[in-house]
Amino acid sequence: MRRLLMAGLACLGMIGCIATANAQNTSSDCSKLVPVSPFGPDDQTGATNRVTPQVTKAAAAEIQEGKTISLTNRLVDGVPLFGTRFTKTVLTATGLVPGAALGENGLTYMEDTWLSQSHVGTHLDGMGHIGKWDCYYNQTPMGKYVNQNNMTRLGLENLKSFATRGVIIDLVRVYQAANKLKTNAACRKPCLDKGTVISQADLEAGLKMYNVTLREGDMVFLHTGWVDLFEQFPAQNALYNSGEAGIGVDAAKWLATQKVIAVGADNWAVEVIPFEKPELVFAVHQTLITDNGIHIIENVKTDDIAEEAQKTGRATFFVNMSVPKAVGMTGNFVAINAIR
Amino acid sequence: MTRLVLRRRPLLAGLAAFGLSRAAAGARRYRIALADLDESPGVTLEGLGFTGTELRSSFEMAARTLPVDMLYFDNAGDPARTIAHADAAIAAHVDLLIEYSADADANAEIARRLAAAGIPVLALVHPVPGAPLYGPDNRAAGLIAGRALGAFARENWPGKPVLGLVIGDLADSGPAIADRVQGITEGMQEFLPAFELARLDTGGQSVRADALLTKFLLTQRGQRLLIATLDDLSAVYAKTAIETNRRQGDCVIVSQGLDRNIHGTASEKKELDPNNRGSVVLGSVAYYMDRYGYDVLPLALRLLAGETLSPRTVTHHGLVTAANVFREYPPYDMN
Repeated sequence: MRRLLMAGLACLGMIGCIATANAQNTSSDCSKLVPVSPFGPDDQTGATNRVTPQVTKAAAAEIQEGKTISLTNRLVDGVPLFGTRFTKTVLTATGLVPGAALGENGLTYMEDTWLSQSHVGTHLDGMGHIGKWDCYYNQTPMGKYVNQNNMTRLGLENLKSFATRGVIIDLVRVYQAANKLKTNAACRKPCLDKGTVISQADLEAGLKMYNVTLREGDMVFLHTGWVDLFEQFPAQNALYNSGEAGIGVDAAKWLATQKVIAVGADNWAVEVIPFEKPELVFAVHQTLITDNGIHIIENVKTDDIAEEAQKTGRATFFVNMSVPKAVGMTGNFVAINAIR
Repeated sequence: MTRLVLRRRPLLAGLAAFGLSRAAAGARRYRIALADLDESPGVTLEGLGFTGTELRSSFEMAARTLPVDMLYFDNAGDPARTIAHADAAIAAHVDLLIEYSADADANAEIARRLAAAGIPVLALVHPVPGAPLYGPDNRAAGLIAGRALGAFARENWPGKPVLGLVIGDLADSGPAIADRVQGITEGMQEFLPAFELARLDTGGQSVRADALLTKFLLTQRGQRLLIATLDDLSAVYAKTAIETNRRQGDCVIVSQGLDRNIHGTASEKKELDPNNRGSVVLGSVAYYMDRYGYDVLPLALRLLAGETLSPRTVTHHGLVTAANVFREYPPYDMN
């Protein structure tokens, strides 16, 4: 009874009626909330449709020295995790117990048990990760497509290739050049402090710095320097998770017009936190994933490739990354290599 | 008669209409100073749980995407320092001063000095002569709480005798507390014309709400109580008293403020939380002092663009409960 009354009380005040929100959660008209996909009404893939053989072939031209640079942070118990997420690894090493070796050839073995959410470490957000009410990418009424274990649409198994060109945008250098860098004292190297809104103009300045023009099918990686806090785990976990510099909604919309397939950053959400408007939560996620089918990649290790770009004057590379055919999953950790 | 304007989110739309959106940021940047009431640790604002630091932070956050360069002063509750900061703002050639000072004499002096320097002033919460004022509508906020309590009694205890109870810093001589209590009283009366209202004065120490209410409950066995707390921390302590005395069945609380004492993130799980819908704390009336910057800076820009503002603009107030708290204050640590 009290619960019912509280819904009524919410309406009594000047704030919007909660009943409305609940109705939206269960039966939204998705055609009014989410754009239709440019890849067709049945598409479950999203932006990786743009990685055509021509795109991959053109990206291969970035491989000039055969040098590989990892964009992946270590995934180990103790790294910063978002919200209440956890990881726990357990090694099964019973094969090493005296007498446990098998056969005359003395076979022993070990295995891991991995307990965790999949959105940890350097990871990719899939099409099923973020929605508006119950409406997800391509006007999918997701309430119809979930069971106790997984989604039955928009899972990672629908993704295509990520063999494309990567572009690093060094926002630290952009902000230094513009004499507006506000670093955080805990960063051992310069970083953009949390709450810094990265604009379209900032992104364009970063591209201009290396004479790069974005092209369809690119993956864009943003270096804000925040990864330095990740690397100090667990000492700086609380600070790392307390906010970040990131793109605002306008910059996200501009990236969508460039037809990129993914936007990654060296922080845990790519977008600015605290948010641009406090009443709007993860609006960049909705813009990129829900509205445009563009992946977000979080906790990317961008410092090495940013340094390499500065050293060589070249900010582009071939991306070597694949996503497991993890049926019905909303996202997963990934390993990314930049090959040059 | 002062014209009241109820605004919050529409201000941003108004800002865009005046061509002061992000797109226009390159056109002209303004230098605006905020002289904050008091950022001293432990000091809270207007009898609520908000701090000066939170208020200032809202300006820092709001300024990120507006064509403004901010200058910040902490008046530290000191009239002499407040006037000195006004002089500093004049010396810094600011385009506008946002003044948050509770001292009427200092405010009059500031008005005189800023007018002489040709710099407009926007007053926060307390009037500065001749300056548009932005702040809470304490009576309206009290009214929302009173109505919520009255509606609860009518719905859950129809025809049963109830007693109203206000808990808070009732000795505070400022008009804000009196206005809130008046609103609470009127709101309850709309539903319960014959009710009586008792008062427990915490003297500004919210922790006392626990002991005061415990003692009061012992004198009111079997009495149904509609409790309006004047700040969120008092609500938390009053709840402890109710639970300790096992009076959850005949007591209910609505608070004032909606500050971080009563709501938090997904991980924090404070009193107002979507997963805590059975609490005796029905809700708290929002004052949004930790979001003032998002309302006030657009007002300041409109003033600088030559618009004549209403003499008084009041912040939006609304009842926030477990059912809508994450809509009003969405946490980013969901999961």
